[in-house]
Amino acid sequence: MKAVNAVTTSWPGLRVDRPTFSAVAESELDAVHRYLLFLTGNRAVAEDLTGETFEKAFRVWRRFDPRRGTPRAWLCGIARTTALDHFRSEERRRRREEKYARDVPELEEPAFGPGDLESALARLSAAEREVVALRVLLELDGPTVARVLGISTTACSTRLSRALKRLEEMMRDVRD
Amino acid sequence: MSATNVDFEREFEELVRDLRALPTAAPQQVREHVRALGEPAQPRTLHDLLLLLSWRRSLLVLAPVCVLGLASAAVIHGIIHSGGNSKQTAAAGQLDTQVHRGAVEGSGTTTTPVLGQALPQPLAKPWSAVVPTPVPGRYQGYEASLTVRVKDVDTLHDRTAKATQLARSFGGYVASVDESTNGGGGQSDLVLRIPVARVEDAYFQLAKLGTVTAQHLSIKDLDQVVQSQRRRIVQLKVLIARIGETLKSSPLPADVRLRLALQRDAARQELARVTGSNKATLRQASLSRISLTLTSQQAAAVKKGGMSRIERAARDAGSFLAGAGAVALFVLIVVSPLIVLVLAWMLGTRAYRRREERRLLSAA
Repeated sequence: MKAVNAVTTSWPGLRVDRPTFSAVAESELDAVHRYLLFLTGNRAVAEDLTGETFEKAFRVWRRFDPRRGTPRAWLCGIARTTALDHFRSEERRRRREEKYARDVPELEEPAFGPGDLESALARLSAAEREVVALRVLLELDGPTVARVLGISTTACSTRLSRALKRLEEMMRDVRD
Repeated sequence: MSATNVDFEREFEELVRDLRALPTAAPQQVREHVRALGEPAQPRTLHDLLLLLSWRRSLLVLAPVCVLGLASAAVIHGIIHSGGNSKQTAAAGQLDTQVHRGAVEGSGTTTTPVLGQALPQPLAKPWSAVVPTPVPGRYQGYEASLTVRVKDVDTLHDRTAKATQLARSFGGYVASVDESTNGGGGQSDLVLRIPVARVEDAYFQLAKLGTVTAQHLSIKDLDQVVQSQRRRIVQLKVLIARIGETLKSSPLPADVRLRLALQRDAARQELARVTGSNKATLRQASLSRISLTLTSQQAAAVKKGGMSRIERAARDAGSFLAGAGAVALFVLIVVSPLIVLVLAWMLGTRAYRRREERRLLSAA
């Protein structure tokens, strides 16, 4: 993981040395976007949610405690909540729309692009893509990812292993 | 990098490399939007501070702090309650003075609290110096008890005999004596009746028999009781005389005569009863009752044994902790159903949230 090279601030009373928000945002922006892209499977949505995530993080930055985890894990937690809220509101919106316009097909932007790996990724579930993003792309360790996802470490490694196997099988099928 | 990281990176080497090569960088407009946020101001609120404290960390700090606080409170309680003898003695002196004043003013009954159990040590101030004296011309019931420590069993016998002689020399008598010895210790319980007029001197002499360790005094003003009894006696005598005069002088019908005779008999009975009560009250007012307890040095030492200041402090601290434990147990028993409900609610909420997340992710 890339170290956050930033000016540190000291909190009176708690004596916690914390990186500055702007330094964290600069270094973790790509990671958060990558995670949201994998989680949502939609580039436009991922961009919106990335902005929203950092706005939320900006508001609650005072509550970030570096002793409890890395800024990346903390931001991923916020990103995940933001994404889940988005899914929830999308679900409500879809339900409303289905009620009044059943036959109107929904236009969806292609998720990852035209490649084989991108197509295979699109066929994974959001939960599988999420664990792949956190473990493989963001290179967070098992216990941290388990904490972000709210599951056990074993469940986390099982989910990752299953996702990668599925992905590999799909890629093998494409090659064959 | 952890072992599991190495495992999946080796197992899916090519796939991992391809995944990491995907173009997933944030677009420029998002970057600019985030940069525009700038640096947040950092006014730290109490809410922020509380949120920073995890419950595990708080418990790790709070539990020892509570235990330490409780232990400190117990130790302080023990120390404070184990070293208050001189204060209690002073309080005893004050109370005695109050008793004296109350008796002098003739305001009914005044009683000191029993101090014997609270004062195992010799009294700093001899009681004889502050003993209340009966007020001349008033009828007062005077009761007192005195615990005197003597050196040994032989001295105990000697002092018991001397107390008896003293009672007689002051014109009183010994109502009862109960002397017992056990092993190296012994105790004599005497009830002395001393004329009230000489009670002060008697008390002074009795206090000299050894070391006074406890005292108790009760003075009851009987003046009003005696006066009301006397008034009633006079009334009854007048009534009896009038009835007798009526029966003798005038010719009356048989039934009226019978009724008057019955009234006279009832008045006579009541007169006898009130006269008896009056005599008893006068006897009570003329003779004080002094309960004297003589105890040998060893008996007192046995009572005192194992009760040094440190031990008393430890005992008090222990009882304080036991009390606190009992309260904590009570609170736990009362609150436990609530705790179970809260836990169930928390677990239920957590399970629901997980299920909801799974559903949303599978639908996404």
